[in-house]
Amino acid sequence: MATRGERIFDIFLWLLAGLVFVVLYAPVAISALFSIVEVRRGDILWETATLEWYARLWQNQSIMDAIRLTLVVGATSVVLSAMLAVALALYVTREDALGRRFIELAVYLPFLLPPIVTGLALLMFFSQVGVSRGAVAVIIGHGAFVLAVIYRLVVTRLQSLPASLVEASSDLGATRWQTFRHVLWPQIAPAVVTGSILALALSFDETLITSFLAGNEMTLPIRLWAMMRVGFTPEINALVTVVLLVSIALTIVIGLRLRAGGRE
Amino acid sequence: MTVLLELDAVSKSYGATEVLRPTSLEVKDGEFLTILGPSGSGKTTILRLVGGFARPTAGRIRFDGADVTNVPTHKRPFNTVFQDYALFPHMNVARNVGYGLMLRRRPKREIENRVAETLEVVGLSGMLDRYPSQLSGGQRQRVALARALVCDPRLILLDEPLAALDAGLRRQMQLFLKSLQRQVRTTFLFVTHDQEEATTMSDRIVVMNVGHIEQIGTPRDIYYAPASRFVAEFFGDNNILGGTISDGRLQCALGAFPAPPALVEGSAALAAIRPEKVRLGTAAEPADIVFTAAVIDVVFAGAITQVLLRPNASPEAIITAKLTSGAAIGSLAPDASVEVRIAREDAVILPAASP
Ligand SMILES: Nc1ncnc2c1ncn2[C@@H]1O[C@H](COP(=O)(O)OP(=O)(O)OP(=O)(O)O)[C@@H](O)[C@H]1O
Ligand SMILES: [Mg+2]
Repeated sequence: MATRGERIFDIFLWLLAGLVFVVLYAPVAISALFSIVEVRRGDILWETATLEWYARLWQNQSIMDAIRLTLVVGATSVVLSAMLAVALALYVTREDALGRRFIELAVYLPFLLPPIVTGLALLMFFSQVGVSRGAVAVIIGHGAFVLAVIYRLVVTRLQSLPASLVEASSDLGATRWQTFRHVLWPQIAPAVVTGSILALALSFDETLITSFLAGNEMTLPIRLWAMMRVGFTPEINALVTVVLLVSIALTIVIGLRLRAGGRE
Repeated sequence: MTVLLELDAVSKSYGATEVLRPTSLEVKDGEFLTILGPSGSGKTTILRLVGGFARPTAGRIRFDGADVTNVPTHKRPFNTVFQDYALFPHMNVARNVGYGLMLRRRPKREIENRVAETLEVVGLSGMLDRYPSQLSGGQRQRVALARALVCDPRLILLDEPLAALDAGLRRQMQLFLKSLQRQVRTTFLFVTHDQEEATTMSDRIVVMNVGHIEQIGTPRDIYYAPASRFVAEFFGDNNILGGTISDGRLQCALGAFPAPPALVEGSAALAAIRPEKVRLGTAAEPADIVFTAAVIDVVFAGAITQVLLRPNASPEAIITAKLTSGAAIGSLAPDASVEVRIAREDAVILPAASP
């Protein structure tokens, strides 16, 4: 039985959670609202309600270009870093792995350093090796940034597997590759997918590193940034709403997947 | 019988710690050989070296005459039953058991037939579609066994495969494993720390102490003629009486036994006496040692009653007697004084220090 004190504490927790929720999501609601209706002198003019601004987004070539680049960057960098993350995780969890700490440091650093430092470091590196700013630089930059996330999830999954699974597989005649294909991959695939969605969400609204590397190309957040310098328009609110909804959708998917994974 | 597997002065060190001293061992074709020893004695280490999961620091391993010391695990022609079964959780029973054949690219039909046959041998027909999480411990055990058997290996390695089962199921699986081994005529290299399990199942037993072999022999050899104090104590709770050799006899606090001539005059030695060979009462049977002792405790365990005794002449040496239960023994009370008799032929005389 819950005592009175416990019940009051529970109510307090619920109130706190509700408050946090409101503070976090009020901006979303407000952007969404302003993208649909006009507000003049603090009054909401309901009769102006329209989805016209969303239609305009669709016709705005520069915004569509930004969306396309964001999707290309996200997909490419996530696929590349997922493959690299799996390879590194497989290597690091081997008993005879050399330089384990060094590899982990190299993987985590771009994620943990302030994005401004990571962005600047990548920019200097790229100009040294002759990679010019643009889509390729952004893809590599995002890849380095999100690698840590996928890597962490895959390593955790691999470490939770008993070593005897791999031993049993090779005992029954499997080569390393066959063991990966038939035993390890089915076990880590859910972690790779979850990590990739998480990485996609990070890549989708990454702004700072991108701003160093993008050059004349513009991803969605950069486009948004550029538009906001000119002034707030309902079109911006519509775009912000789209970005936020995509981010929220990805977050919900990740949350559900992580919970399902934890239940296994 | 020909030698199937041979360990030739194989040793294993991790860093500076030698967990297995140079060890030689021959496993004969078709035998049930058990490695028995306390925790940490190196049983798993030997099995892992044979399976190829670890490389020996020195020495050679030969299988059927061929040197396999550096052959990778997946090319070694024998299979392992792991202590945790190591079933693949995302595969059903049919795919788990068929895994080895699938890797060997056998035709689908053949795999299906072999899997069904093997599951029948282990008594699991009709469970093809179950996943490991839907099986009981004993059933998982059988799937692991079937998975190893299906490839028709000439040697199967089993690391304490019964340790996770409860006592009743364990007994049942022991009998099953033994009869299975006779039926399929495969050589079994079996690891356990359970002396009774080793005795009931094995053709021969290898008794291990920390990092080395103490004795190899049939269960009878080891039971009746332990080669060292360690074996005598580990294998069947022998009573140990310490003393010195003089006049060709082992002199101990409770009396003297004739000693084998190999033991040097003046050296420390001991007598190992099985608890069931300790006799009580005044029956006029010939005995080499007769002494009086106080009863400490009487423990009834069904057919056998265990009596703990404190000899008057040597109160620190507790003697255990295991006797057939009966009215006379049942009426023994703690602190009663009894006459204890031990015959020479029931004692094994050993040097005190291990050879
Ligand atoms: N990878 C390792 N690194 C260092 N020491 C190890 C390693 N593996 C085993 N050992 C040591 O080797 C010794 C023998 O271990 P082993 O696993 O062979 O014992 P065991 O006889 O199988 O014991 P148990 O009955 O507890 O399974 C132990 O002291 C153990 O700590
Ligand atoms: Mg072990």
